[in-house]
Amino acid sequence: MDIFWFLTFAVLLAGYFALEGFDIGLGVLLPVLGRSPADRDRLVGAMAPFVLANEVWLVALAGVLFGAFPVLEGQALSRLYPLVVALLLAWIVRDAGLWFRRRADGAAWRLAWDGALWAGSAGLALAWGAILVAVARGLPASPLDVPAVAGGVALLALLAWHGRTFAAWRLRSGPHGSGRALLLSACAAAAPAVLVMAAAAAHMLGNAAPDQTLTVLSVMVVPVAPILAGAQVWVWRTFSRGALPTFF
Amino acid sequence: MDVVGLARMQFAVTGSLHFLFVVLTLGLAPLVAIMHTRYAIGGNPLHERMTRFWGQIYVINYALGIVTGLVMEFQFGLSWSGLSHYAGDVFGAPLAMETLLAFFLESTFLGLWIFGWHRLPRGLHVACIWLVTLTAYASALFIMVANSFLQNPAGSAEEGGRLVLRDFGALFTNPTLVFALPHVLSAGLWAGGFVVMGASAYHLYRRTPEREFFTRSLRIGVLTAFVGSLFTVGFGYAQFGPVSDVQPDKFHGAVPGVALGLMIMIGQFVQFGVMFVLAPLLIRDLLARWRWLHPLLMIMTPLPFVAAIAGWIVREVGRQPWLVYGKLSVADALTPGLTRADITASFAGFAGVLGLLALVDYVLIARAVRRGPGRVALGAADLPVTAEPVPAHSL
Ligand code: HEM
Repeated sequence: MDIFWFLTFAVLLAGYFALEGFDIGLGVLLPVLGRSPADRDRLVGAMAPFVLANEVWLVALAGVLFGAFPVLEGQALSRLYPLVVALLLAWIVRDAGLWFRRRADGAAWRLAWDGALWAGSAGLALAWGAILVAVARGLPASPLDVPAVAGGVALLALLAWHGRTFAAWRLRSGPHGSGRALLLSACAAAAPAVLVMAAAAAHMLGNAAPDQTLTVLSVMVVPVAPILAGAQVWVWRTFSRGALPTFF
Repeated sequence: MDVVGLARMQFAVTGSLHFLFVVLTLGLAPLVAIMHTRYAIGGNPLHERMTRFWGQIYVINYALGIVTGLVMEFQFGLSWSGLSHYAGDVFGAPLAMETLLAFFLESTFLGLWIFGWHRLPRGLHVACIWLVTLTAYASALFIMVANSFLQNPAGSAEEGGRLVLRDFGALFTNPTLVFALPHVLSAGLWAGGFVVMGASAYHLYRRTPEREFFTRSLRIGVLTAFVGSLFTVGFGYAQFGPVSDVQPDKFHGAVPGVALGLMIMIGQFVQFGVMFVLAPLLIRDLLARWRWLHPLLMIMTPLPFVAAIAGWIVREVGRQPWLVYGKLSVADALTPGLTRADITASFAGFAGVLGLLALVDYVLIARAVRRGPGRVALGAADLPVTAEPVPAHSL
């Protein structure tokens, strides 16, 4: 039972980077790929219908951490306090950029929230890189040092590449427009997280919640899992092709 | 203020901000779903315009519900790791279910609904907003189950210094849950009804060209508030019994006492007002025609929000000093080693950023109301994908 929930956790984490990774990467590249406001609208339009379905993987991850590995939840989050706070603030700023950029007129308004979208995306990538490095090193006392920054920058570059292959695929332009390239970059984006999970596996399995709790969770969640997966597939079937929606 | 005080303050501020937006989400979601259903069945363009206009208000409000919710989700582990250590095996389960069974689906279906205009077949599109509503209510259920467990740790037993789960069903029949949940959900309906009422009063007062639209909306708002207020007050009084059984001194402190008084005063007065004045004036649309009443309707709009925050203050301050009632104190649950600098920085960051965004969001909601149904972005025309080449290879 603990193995099942560990695998669920790992799949959610890998899925988060494979999916939300391209939203983050595209946000980072927004000033580069979208030089004009119209270009930026199209880039945001490409990712917009996926963001809500992608970012929620991390919320689910936090839920599984709390439900199935409660002791680790307290340990990991509190040891990584400044990084997790930075991650949350970056996430909030990124989301605010998305939700607000079209809610009022004027070039300055749009530019300001596009800036928030960019800064938040960059902050997310940097914070995640540092967090993965810290977890891989067994949660050191002061998680902000040179390897942490290096990890952040490396993840930023990786996700930016992933974001670019997504944009090329969705907007059908350039030589990188194929679905295969997107699949490849998705796997690459998830790879660091998978490695870190493999390193942390023994520690996590030793700290799972008791069987009684895990059974209750399984009984409640497993029957609904096909609906969760189906909803995600529905999003991809609906928004992979065709004109770009304009709400974000 | 010491570290515990700051951590409590951070939780209270972010939690209150979260609830201000969530309570409206809970109230508006079913209204938008009903409007959309009527449009899908009858095809009346007025219903489509209503769905998009009120749907846009709902969606703008939702943005802040999400970002404040993210902070809530992670805050237990950040500042209160003692809680996950002592009670995580029980308390974690409803929270995990909230994320997997409710919020995950809510967010996915909301994306489909927002961006699915011109794309999804009408029936499936309506199904999305109903699924959003259903999962939002499921979310409220699981969160209230978790909160009620903290009020009264049912279904669990202490073993080796930690709580273990004994009876999962008891979490759902917890006496601190059964009346509190409908009380909160009805408060949501009341808040949703009042926002629809207040915004409609604004347009009727300004004599904008959308007379029919807002006369009908006013009716929907007042009727929703009528139903919501009736149940809010009913389930509010019903809570006194179970609360005095499990937490006998709850309302004796100064803060919970004052907050309770405020909530009941608002609840009682406004409920009578809705029942005996506003609802009867719907006959022959008197309320829509009596323009001098409209400023009053606008001024009343925030009242359910004030009462709802007061309600949470009663419930949460009233159980101090306990985090898990009678078992784990708030001070003992604080993350060991959490420094003053840590918590001060995070509190300033969360309160500053979320407070600012909340203000922006309210301004945007007011702006969307003012612009009226003629200029709604939700469901607007799409952008062609190949308008101009994206400079992807210019990298
Ligand atoms: C006559 C009117 C009302 C009465 C008698 C009443 C009663 C109560 C009581 C006794 C509690 C505390 C429960 C506890 O500590 O466990 C409570 C909490 C609460 N109230 Fe009220 N209330 C009234 C009106 C309102 C109104 C108008 C709203 C908002 C529209 C509201 C929203 C809340 C909320 C959000 C809570 C916290 C969650 C809960 O315990 O349900 N109440 N109410």
